[in-house]
This record gives sequence, structure tokens and C-alpha cells, in this order.
Amino acid sequence: MATLDQQPDTAEQGQDRFARRKRTTQYGKAAVGLLIVLVYLFPVFWMVSTSLKLRGDVFSIPPELFPSPVVFGSYIESVFQSPPVLRALLNSLVIATGTLFLTLVLGTPAAYALARLRLRFTVLISLVLLLAQMLPTINLALPLFVIFTDVGLVDTYAGLILANTALALPFAIIILRPFFLSVPGELMDAGRVDGCTPFAVFRRIVLPLIRPGLITVGALAFVTAWGEFVFGLTLATSEELQPISVALNRFIGQYGTRWADLMAVATIAALPVIVIFAGLQRFIVGGLTAGATKE
Amino acid sequence: MDQSATATPRDIPERGRQPRKPVVKPERTRRQLSESRLGKYLFVLPAVLFIGLLMIYPLFYNLNLSLHDVHLSNFLAGERPFVGLQNYFDAFSQPAFWHSLWISLLYTGGSILFAFLIGYGLALFFDRAFPGSGTMRAVLLVTYVLPSVVSGTVWRWMLQGDSGIVNALLQGIGIIDEPVHWLIHGPTAMISVIISTVWVTSPFVMILLLAGLQGIPPGLYEAAKIDGTNAWQRFRHVTLPMMRPVALTVLLLSFIFTFKTFDNIYVMTKGGPGDATGIMPIYAYDKAFNFFEFSDGAVASTVLIIISIVMALLYFWMTRKEEAA
Repeated sequence: MATLDQQPDTAEQGQDRFARRKRTTQYGKAAVGLLIVLVYLFPVFWMVSTSLKLRGDVFSIPPELFPSPVVFGSYIESVFQSPPVLRALLNSLVIATGTLFLTLVLGTPAAYALARLRLRFTVLISLVLLLAQMLPTINLALPLFVIFTDVGLVDTYAGLILANTALALPFAIIILRPFFLSVPGELMDAGRVDGCTPFAVFRRIVLPLIRPGLITVGALAFVTAWGEFVFGLTLATSEELQPISVALNRFIGQYGTRWADLMAVATIAALPVIVIFAGLQRFIVGGLTAGATKE
Repeated sequence: MDQSATATPRDIPERGRQPRKPVVKPERTRRQLSESRLGKYLFVLPAVLFIGLLMIYPLFYNLNLSLHDVHLSNFLAGERPFVGLQNYFDAFSQPAFWHSLWISLLYTGGSILFAFLIGYGLALFFDRAFPGSGTMRAVLLVTYVLPSVVSGTVWRWMLQGDSGIVNALLQGIGIIDEPVHWLIHGPTAMISVIISTVWVTSPFVMILLLAGLQGIPPGLYEAAKIDGTNAWQRFRHVTLPMMRPVALTVLLLSFIFTFKTFDNIYVMTKGGPGDATGIMPIYAYDKAFNFFEFSDGAVASTVLIIISIVMALLYFWMTRKEEAA
């Protein structure tokens, strides 16, 4: 056997062996990569695992990795039969959906104009938008609270949607502009020659072509507004209108050591974000980097 | 004559740019032209108005607030006497103000250092092509989009003193003998909020650094290989120097985005114990919403925003130089 191995390979055999070894190391790397991902995302697993345990099992020493038995009691009691949690989930849904639509309605035409209509100050406006994203949210929350108190917008959905849109709009425009730039100018010229008004060119020709951009912006606007905390904390003073993020923070004190219940609420609060992220991953990953950086 | 009298100043450069067109245009075309020019601005007008009203105006409002004396009793009565820079002098003479600035810098510095190291490590690993590498690095980014209250709550639970998994793990492998009450003592509370911040931001740092890694020409590595270098030497003499500009901008960007954090710390410690994790945004919030000292809160947020703007301008300046090079 040993002598057989030492025989020189034919070129074909050598290539085959090389390819096989390369494939093995590829799978080795993939296994290490998978391990890294699993270890890194352990907190997410731990949240779900805790939420499915019996209240007493949460305190077992050493902690059990997997819940046994698996129980949904915390979900039933602290989510589905809890009016404050359901109300907070509804509030977040209303705020996030409102923000999504308002952001698209305001951001899409603005990004189009900045990309295509050769306005003055395009560079300046783009820099201001980028800067807007880099400012602390608390800087807006404080004056908005005082202003909204004056005009009666504290404790209203409208106030929360407006504030969240102020956060989402700058990145929406930054993300959408390159999409508009990639629309071939000839197509728009053709529309104009056929007698379309600028609005018709925008509506009939451009919009359908930039759907991926709209999905990216819509998903990010929804996800950030869903998880938004500072405005919920400051601009919604009554529990009736507080989003799930603020409610979850309130429960930390209220629930004391009922960690299974707290993790059940946390899991439900994270669920829409995880679902959207899983479904629209490639849009979101691209959007996150494009929205935060200057090319 | 009549037409040139009605020409707006804006028409003149337009005409100058297209000298081949007849100098005297028919009246109708000109009206159409100006209509469509106005139309252009109608596209941006709503967004500009919105940002003006809900971002720029509040920021100036804030600045104005910091120059008036506004606290709970006169806020409700609607009195807002002008006091000039008095609020600033008051704030600057309080140790609590400087403490919050120091805590902010400590927290931001610690967080970006470790997020950068871990993000760099992850980027180097996931830069290599293997089955599933693209999906894996995208999946890691879920920590960044998770609602911050959720990640804060989960870390609070994991770092809990008596039954938290972190203590169980550290005791299990013999690093600590007694459970550590992470969030109850100042120094460990700071470590805790840094850990959760690093967990959230490292994958994002990874994605930004990956873009830089992929921009290094493969030819450089091949040339280094021919020169007989080992993997470490190639990392040290090719990757690191080539990544320097990208790494610096990523660090700056991380600083900007970590410096403005509020949620994570508010959920985990509320700035405590005492004021051990009381970063500036928490200080500003407390002043305004717990003590109803709106002007003091406005002073802190003005300082906060000045630091943010300076860092952002530095970032713009650095990326501009990069483009020119």
C-alpha cells in the first residue's frame, strides 16, 4: 500500500486529489463558521429557551440549555392574555406601519429629484441627510417633547409617527438615491418624448424599476420604528400609547424574577424583526451599510 | 424688450449655457420650462419641509432652550426668561456634567475597541469563500437589527447575579468562585453595558470592514506569496497597511454611532448604579424628564450634538480625502 501511494500520480489523479483536499478544507471552514454563528447568536437562543421553560426551571443550577418540558405558559399568560402587552404590540404595529408609509411617501420623490432632476445643492442636502443620522436621538426627543406639548401632539399616534419618520427619512433618501441613479436615462427620455409629465415619468417608468430600493427602505423603516425606544419613552407619557419596546422595559421592574415571562414578551417583541430580517435579508444587509456610510 | 424685462435672473445662466438656441424664445416654451423647473422642486419640497420642521427646527429650538431658564414650574406657566450663557456656566461648574462626559468617552472607547477587534476577526474569517459564508455573515447581523430593548433585556438576564448563565459558565470553567453581581457594582456594570454593545455592533463593523478587505487587489497577495512570505507576514505587511484608511473611517463611524447610544444603557442600568454608567445622553434625559430642568437638559444635548457634528465632519473630511486619493 505504501509503495502504491508513493507512485507518482497522473496529472488527472493529482488534480482530483487537490480538488478533494480543497473541498475538505472548504467544509472545515464552513463548520468553523457555523460554530462561530451559533456561539455568537447564543443570547437569542437563550431568550427563546428561557421563554419556553417552567417558571421554576429558570433558576435551576446548573442552567439547563434546553427547556424540558417545553411549556407555552409564559406566552399564554404574559402575552396573549395580557391586555397591556397586546395593546403595546398594536401600538408598535400602528407606529411602524405609519412610519413606513410616511417615509416612502416623502422619501421616494425627494430621492428621485436629488438623483435625476439636477437640483442645486444636491451634495449639500446629501451631507445634511447623512449628518442627520449621526445625531443622538435624545437631541430630538427633548425639543420635540416641548414642541409637541405646545401643539398637542404628545401622547398621539401622529406625534410618534412624525418623530419616527424624522429618524427614518434621511436614511430612506440616502438609500434610494443610488437606485434612481441606476435607472437608464434613455427610458425616462423616451417617456418624456411620448409626452409624459415629470410626475407621469416618475410614476409609470421609474417607480416600477426601483422596487428593490422601496422594499429595502420599507423594511428598514418598519424594523427601526418597531424597535424604537427613546421617542416611545418621552413622547408617549400614557401607557395606553406606549410601544412594545417601552412596555418591555417597564416589565423588567414589574415582573421581578419572572424571567420566563419577560423572555416571552422579549421574544414576541423581536419576532416581527426576525421574520422580516429572515425574509428580506439581502435587502436589509445592503441597506444598512448603504444608509450609514458615505460612498 | 418686453421679454427680456420679464426674464428672471435664473433664466440668464440657462440661456448662456445653450448659446445655439434662438435668443428670443417663444413665450409658451418658456412658461413650460419654468413650470417643469418648479415641478422639480415640488418633488423635494415635502421632504425638505418635513426635515426642516421635525429635525432642524427642533435642534435650533433646543439651542434656544439652552439660553433660557425653563424648568417645570415656569414651563407649565409658559414663562421662559432669557438668561444667555448662564445655563452653560452652571453646567460646566457641576462635576456631574464632566463625569457624564468622561463616562461617555470611557463607554464609547471601550465599546469601539472591542467591537473593532471582534469585527476585524470576523471579517478576516468570513472574507474567505466557503459554502454558506455569505449567509452566515448576513445572519450575524441580526444582532444589529434586533430592538435594543430586547437585546438589553436579554443581557440583563444573562448577567443576572444568582441564576444568570454568564456566572454559571464562568463558575463552571473556574474563572470565578463566587457569582458576580454584574449590574450592581460600578465597574462591572460598565463592563456589562460594553459587552452588550459590543455584541450588537461587532457584526456591523465586520460588514463595513469586509468591504475594505474585498477591495485589496488579489495580486498583492500573490506577489507576497512568490516572495516566500507566510500567512502572518502577508497579514502584517499587506492586509494591515492596505486596510488602514478603511479601518480609520470604520473606527470613526463606530465612535459616532456608539457615542449617541441611549437605549442599551437605559434598559440595562438606567445609568447606574449611582452614576457609574451615566453617559451624556442619559444625563441629558434625566435632567429634562426626571428633574424637569429642561434648560439643563438642553445644555447637555447641545454639547452632545457639537461633539457628534465635529466627529461627523471629521468623517466626511476623511472619506473625501480617500476619494481624491
